Formats: sequence, structure tokens, C-alpha cells
Amino acid sequence: MILSGTFTFNGPRQKVWDLLQDPGVLAKALPGTERLTMSGPDRYEGVMKVSIGPMTAAKFDVTVTLADKQPPERFTLQIDGKGGVGFARGSAAVTLQEQGDGGTAMDYTSDVQIGGRIASVGQRLIESVSRMMMRQALEALDRELRARIDADASGS
Amino acid sequence: MSPEARYVNARVRRNEDARLLTGRARFVDDVQLPGLLHVAFVRSEHAHGRLIKVDGAAARRRPGVVAVYTFDDLGEYGRPAPVLVPPPPISGLVFHPRTHRPLASGKVRYVGEPIAMIVAESRYLAEDAVRDVIVDVDPLDAVVDLEAALTAGAARVHDDLESNAAAHVVQRKGDYAAARDRADVIVARRFTYDRGAAAALENRCVLAQWDRQAEELTIWDTTQAPIPIRNGLASRLGLSESQVRVVAPFVGGGFGPKIMMFYPEELLVPWASIRLARPIKWTEDRQENFFATTQERGQLHDAEMALTRDGRILGIRDTFLFDTGAYDPYGLTIPINTQCTLLGPYDVPNYSSEFTAVFTNKTIVTPVRGAGRQHGVFVSERLLDLAARELGIDRVEIRKRNLLGPDRFPHNHEIMFQDSAPLVYDSGDYLPALEQAAATIGYAELVRQQAQRRSGTRRVGVGIACYVEGTGIGPYEGARVTVELSGKVRVATGVGTQGQGHYTVFAQVVADVLGVSVEDVQVITGDTREFQWGTGTFASRGAAVAGSACHAAAMSVREKIVALAASVLGAEPDRLEVAGGRVSVRGAADRTISLAQLAARANPLRGAVRPGTEPGLESTAYFGPDRGSTASGVHAMIVEVDVETAMVEVKRYVVVHDCGRIINPLLVEGQIHGGVAHGLGNAFYEQLVYDEQGQLLNASFMDYLLPTATDVPPIETAHRETPSPFNPIGLKGVGEAGCIPTGAAFAQAVEDALNIEILDIPLSPDRLFRLIQQAADR
Repeated sequence: MILSGTFTFNGPRQKVWDLLQDPGVLAKALPGTERLTMSGPDRYEGVMKVSIGPMTAAKFDVTVTLADKQPPERFTLQIDGKGGVGFARGSAAVTLQEQGDGGTAMDYTSDVQIGGRIASVGQRLIESVSRMMMRQALEALDRELRARIDADASGS
Repeated sequence: MSPEARYVNARVRRNEDARLLTGRARFVDDVQLPGLLHVAFVRSEHAHGRLIKVDGAAARRRPGVVAVYTFDDLGEYGRPAPVLVPPPPISGLVFHPRTHRPLASGKVRYVGEPIAMIVAESRYLAEDAVRDVIVDVDPLDAVVDLEAALTAGAARVHDDLESNAAAHVVQRKGDYAAARDRADVIVARRFTYDRGAAAALENRCVLAQWDRQAEELTIWDTTQAPIPIRNGLASRLGLSESQVRVVAPFVGGGFGPKIMMFYPEELLVPWASIRLARPIKWTEDRQENFFATTQERGQLHDAEMALTRDGRILGIRDTFLFDTGAYDPYGLTIPINTQCTLLGPYDVPNYSSEFTAVFTNKTIVTPVRGAGRQHGVFVSERLLDLAARELGIDRVEIRKRNLLGPDRFPHNHEIMFQDSAPLVYDSGDYLPALEQAAATIGYAELVRQQAQRRSGTRRVGVGIACYVEGTGIGPYEGARVTVELSGKVRVATGVGTQGQGHYTVFAQVVADVLGVSVEDVQVITGDTREFQWGTGTFASRGAAVAGSACHAAAMSVREKIVALAASVLGAEPDRLEVAGGRVSVRGAADRTISLAQLAARANPLRGAVRPGTEPGLESTAYFGPDRGSTASGVHAMIVEVDVETAMVEVKRYVVVHDCGRIINPLLVEGQIHGGVAHGLGNAFYEQLVYDEQGQLLNASFMDYLLPTATDVPPIETAHRETPSPFNPIGLKGVGEAGCIPTGAAFAQAVEDALNIEILDIPLSPDRLFRLIQQAADR
């Protein structure tokens, strides 16, 4: 499954970059994340719960590795998820570009292979569920970004 | 005097229906035993990968789990399953047998391949423990597309082979190249026919019980072939055949995948039952059925037909790829069926056919109803339609010009059939069937109305397609017929029943021979303790082969009855009449004896059974035809296509078929109705969709569409009877006939409605929608 898109953050690129490297923030922003901890340099491990159609609250053990980092512009993610109803593995490329209006545009392209029961039963819904999760995550991140910017502003 | 036909050819109601309809029929999953253990399997989620680690330690610790088995626990029992059907002796044939092991070892080769077996006190516990098993797989590129599979850089399903080619077979008749040079017109196209599931109502189920004291193993199994399963398991388990009893009670639909497969589950459940000395049951769930039960279809044909200007076939050339899945235990039955059935009812003087069977990372392929025949019919019927269009000849007319005439039988096609015998048609009369089907559907009138039919948003098309079906192949079946002391008759035979009506048709044959009421004939099938010689239910052979064995055994019992009655009644045998459950002297109403009394006299408590005779009124007989008999028929249908939604509604469906002499028209119609529903499913609804990584994307009835009662039209059936000379009653098979030409007729009808070209089956509303759009863009 290939999922790609653009999202505009309401904040400067460096702040967006910092946000995306913070496992605590990611754990809050990614829907269904029960736990996400740094297990090594640029490596995160955790547990996510995903509901896709007839499969409700399926748990996945997730490992995410960051690579090809060029702060604050681009990085790639290797994603490996395994659970009782199947697996997901793949990669995502993320680039950040400053916009003239103080915002930051994020382009992302991910290519994830889905297998097991989740592929054979949830197929019709995987893409729409993934898009929804991605949108919810990005909106949550943007809210967090705004909160940080506001905190910085009031703190200074 | 010879028996009177009272039941054969009559619309006798089914003996088994009272039990089936009131829920008293026993299926394997109904069997409950004290101390029964339950099984769940850990299956591969990857279509292709190296197995790095399989660790069942955590699962073994779960309370309620009795055993966890991985490949390493199997020892010698882990060796590959046998090749079930060796390929026929065709010169130059290449075949690489690669069969599955009971549990995966080293590599996984399709999604759903069993990796570990969990035995627990309940199915719930077993399913829970599946998640405790650690399986590490290093994924490899999956082999999915047939053409890509044969390219040089492709990943290999079996590392020890040079390529993914599982087999290569060439069969030739005449000289196609020379015929092509003489031809006025050549039509050539690429055709595809994609995978489908058999989707039997009852999933598979295996229950095994090892009796330690008797040292006997009883296996209840949803198999179409209990005797070969018994023999194979006995040998593999190191037991004698007499220590193993396989019972296939009522089975809720077979359609091919339940045939003599030695499925991993079928190998493992009995083995574990002996090891644990407990009864063990595994019942497949519907999700598993989509991965773990064999599937069919998946062929890609590049075919051409050479014709004269007046539409006579000079020859056909076909090169095709056949998807055999991850392993090929069933040999080459399907592609050879395709190769042979492509010739249809036509006079094809020159034929060149070549196929390559291809290993892919998909579920194993074995015959499903039709067993490759529909692919061949699809190719030749489509080529004829294309030729008709190109030559400006009517579709029915071009077929008439090419049909084999009634004087051409037996007709030798000079190639080898799947039963290792030459492809020889025994008998047939094709032209009247085509004319009857065309007249019944109103073909000529529909052709005249073509312009009107093709206007508006709901367009009407007519399709008409011919087929032959090789049926009733050997090697043999047997039956034992016994007149019991009650005067009732018991028939035991080795073929299992999956709903076809064996309890009725075999009873009809025997009732006529013995002059008893059909309700008084009890038929037992599918229990190796009752009858232990035979092969199984496949290739539309039950009635023709086992039915003929029942007939032979009944004739032998009749001789015993007549001989004994002649001596008891003091009359010449030729003056005796066997009817109404009695033997009577013709013209002397008082000189009569019932079969019950004769049965008692044949098994005396005092006196002697004379030398050279046997006690009882019982005989066992076998029947083995030299080769199969060839059934035939014509399907015609009218469809209405909504050009805006691309939905197709079948308005009328006509079947004119010839399965030789008919034992029971009611049952024949039932077989045809079911077959047509199956065929329509394969034409328009059903397709197993795999992604490029070999993941099956529609493994549930939410996404895999079966035709429902509202999708299947009323079917008008007409019977024609050209008896087969290969068996005493003149029977041919009919179990698969309904689904063989369905795709070809459907494609033609939709094509006729829309004036487009259809080369791929199954269609679906979205595929058809795209074809309509493409045609509009041109």
C-alpha cells in the first residue's frame, strides 16, 4: 500500500523537526499508541492498537527506525509491526520545506506491505483507516506544535 | 428373464433427504467423543520467506495446552506428502513433483501454510496459544504473476529447481503449421481465466481416535476418497490397512478439493491422536478455508485458430501457463483436462497444444468442479465466436459446420487424456442438441432483433456454447449387495457421498435388478470398514463406475436368488419372476416365496451349503472401464446488461445436455442447476485476488462474492440420451457439466449485448465497466 500526501504545519521547520524526533510526542499523537520508547539511537519500540473493520483493537508490536537524517529537512522511517492478526512492514520518506508564511510543508510517501489476516479480511478498509490515522496524527502533532509555540511565547 | 426397469430413468425422490432435511444426518463435526482434544494451526502470514525460528515454548506453558508440534517434532513423519496422480505417459513430458510437508520446514511458500500445530483442551485455548508461538520469517520476494515467474531474475518457490516451471507438456495431432499455411483466416487472442474457490458449505474436518487396547485408529474425515486416504495414512503411520478405518459420513459438498489430498491437517491429526492416545478434532474455519483448502483456475492462454473462408476449422494452436500454486501433489490432471477438452465436440484435424505449469507462492491448486475443462471450452468457444465475427458467419452456424457427426464415433483425438488412456469419444450426437438449445432460447428471433437489443441503457445479449466432458474414468469401483433376512437390501460401495444422491441412484439400479422397492435398498458409502476397495468420488464418475459395479453385484445376487428359488419352488429358472420383493412362478400364483424367506434359506442353521455355492444372498462385484465416457451438451442464455452500472442479469438459461442413459432425471437436473450456479459464480462473481506479495485480499464472504439465490435464474433443462457403450447401463457423468461452458456462454452473451470483446473470466461489474468505457473511448 502506498500512502502519500502533504500536510502543512503552522510553525517553523526546526520546531517541526524537533517535534518529530520526540518519542513522547509521537506516542501521544499517533492514534492507538499504548507505548513508544526509545530503545537505541534513532530506534523506537512500542505497542499500537488498531481497529480495522471486523478486527477491533488488534495489538501490534512496532519498531520504528530513523535513517538518512538530514536535519531539519528530511529523514526516512523503517516501520516493522507484528501482531496477532498480521504484519505491516515498510518505509516512509518525509521531507520538510519552509513555507513563506512561517508554516512548514511536510511531504510524505510511505510504502507499506500488509500481510496476514489484516490483509485478507480488512483489505477494503486498510487504506481508509490508514489515511484517517495519518490525518488524526498530523492534526494532533500540529496542535502540539501550536501548544509549544504558545508556551515558548508566554515563557519568553 | 431380464430385470424390468421400474426405477432407472424415473424421477425418484432422494432416499437421503429425510435425514438431511431434519438434521439427523451425521457430519464429521457432529461426532463428539469423551476426552476430545481440539486443534488450531499456526499458519504463515507470508507468501514466501525463510523460516528463521519457530518457538512453541510459551504456547506449551499455557494452561490447557496439551501439545505443540513444529516440524522438528515430526521426525521421519515430516517427509513430503506423496504425488497423488502420476502424469500420463506423454512423450517428452517434464514434471517436477514438489509436494508439501505436514508442517513447513526451512521456507514458507504460501500464506496459510501450516507452521505449528497446537493441541488443547478446547478450541478457544488452542486459538489463544497460536499467538504464543514465536515465528520469525525472513521475507522473500513472492512469485505471483505467471509470466514474471518464468523470467530469469524471478525468485524461486523451490530453491532446488532451476526455474518456477513445474511441468512442460506438448501434445500434437496432425500438422498445425501446414494447416495454418492453408488457412484463409487466422484468429489469435490472449485469454485469461483467474482463480476461484470451491467454497463448499461444509469446511474440512478431521477427527481421529486411537484405541490403544484394540490398536485401531478410526478417522472421521470430510474426504471424497476415504479408501486411498485409509491406505496412505496406514502406510505412513506404519499400521496395517485393517488397523485403520476411515469414515466419510455425510459431507457437505466436495467439488474437488476434498479429494485424496493428504492435507497437512489430515496427516497430523491422526498422528497426534496416536502420540497422545486421545481423540483429536480439527474443524476448519471459513477463513482458513480460503488459504488452506486447495483452489483452482488461474490460466493464461495464447491461442489461435486456423479456418477456411467458409468457417471450417483447419487447426488450433494453444500455448498456456497453468498456476499450480506452491506445490503440485495432484500432478497434471487440470492442465491435461484443459488441453483435451479444448477440442470440444468439433472436428479439429490439426492441434498443437503446449503448456507450462508454474509454481507460485499461492495456495495449492487441485481440481475444482470442471477441473480445467472450462478453460479449454472457454478458449475454443471464444475463438469460434471471434472467427464467426471475422468471417461474417452466424455463431450457431459456424458451430454446426464443425460438429462431429453421429457417424464419427468412437472418435480418436490422437492425444492422451488425464486417465492415461488415449482421448477417445465413445458416443455422441451433437447437432440435435445445438439445434434444440437454439430453438428453445429463440436464437434466430434474437439475432433478427439485434439492433433493438443493443440500444438503450439495458442491453440484451444471447450466448450459446457447446462442450464435451470426459467423465466416468477408471480405474474401478466395487459394490457389495446383500439381501438381508428382513428381505431388505443393503448396498455398500467405496465412493463417498457429498450430496450428489448416491443413496438414491445406487438404490434405483439395485432395486430394478432385484425387483424390490427403492426405499427398501439401504446404501452405505464412505466407510472403509463397510467396503475397502475403490478410489473415490471425482471426475463425474460415481454413477458411471460405482453405479455399474452396483449393477453387476445386483445381477450376481439375482442369479443366486433365481437359482435358489428354482430349487425351492421346483420350477425352471426361466419361468420365475422376481418382483415385489418375491420370486413367483409365472402363471401359478400360489407358487411364490419372499426374498426374506429365501435369504433365511440361503443361510441355514442345519444342513449343508453345497460345494461350489456360498451362503447368503450376497455378491461383490467390480467395474473398471477401459476409458472414460464423453458427455456433452449446449448452454444458452439471455443476459441483460445495464450499461451504466455494468450489472448483468441472466434472464433465461437453457441447458440441453446428454449424459447417456439417465438414472434419475430429478438428480441430473439438480446437478446441472448447482453446476450452472457454480459456473455463473466463476463467470461474474468469484475471483481470488492476490496482491503482488501473494497476500489474498478477499478471504471472506464479505469480499469474495458467491452467487446467491437471487443471482441464479431458473434453469430450463432438456435431456438427450446417447448411451455410452463403455458400461452396461450406458451411463455418462454429469456432476461437472453445469459449470463447464458457462463462462464461454456468458462472455458471448455479454459481448453480443454490448458489441465489445471479452477475453478474460471472471468478469465483474467493475471489469465490465472498464471494458464498456474503453469501447466508448475508441
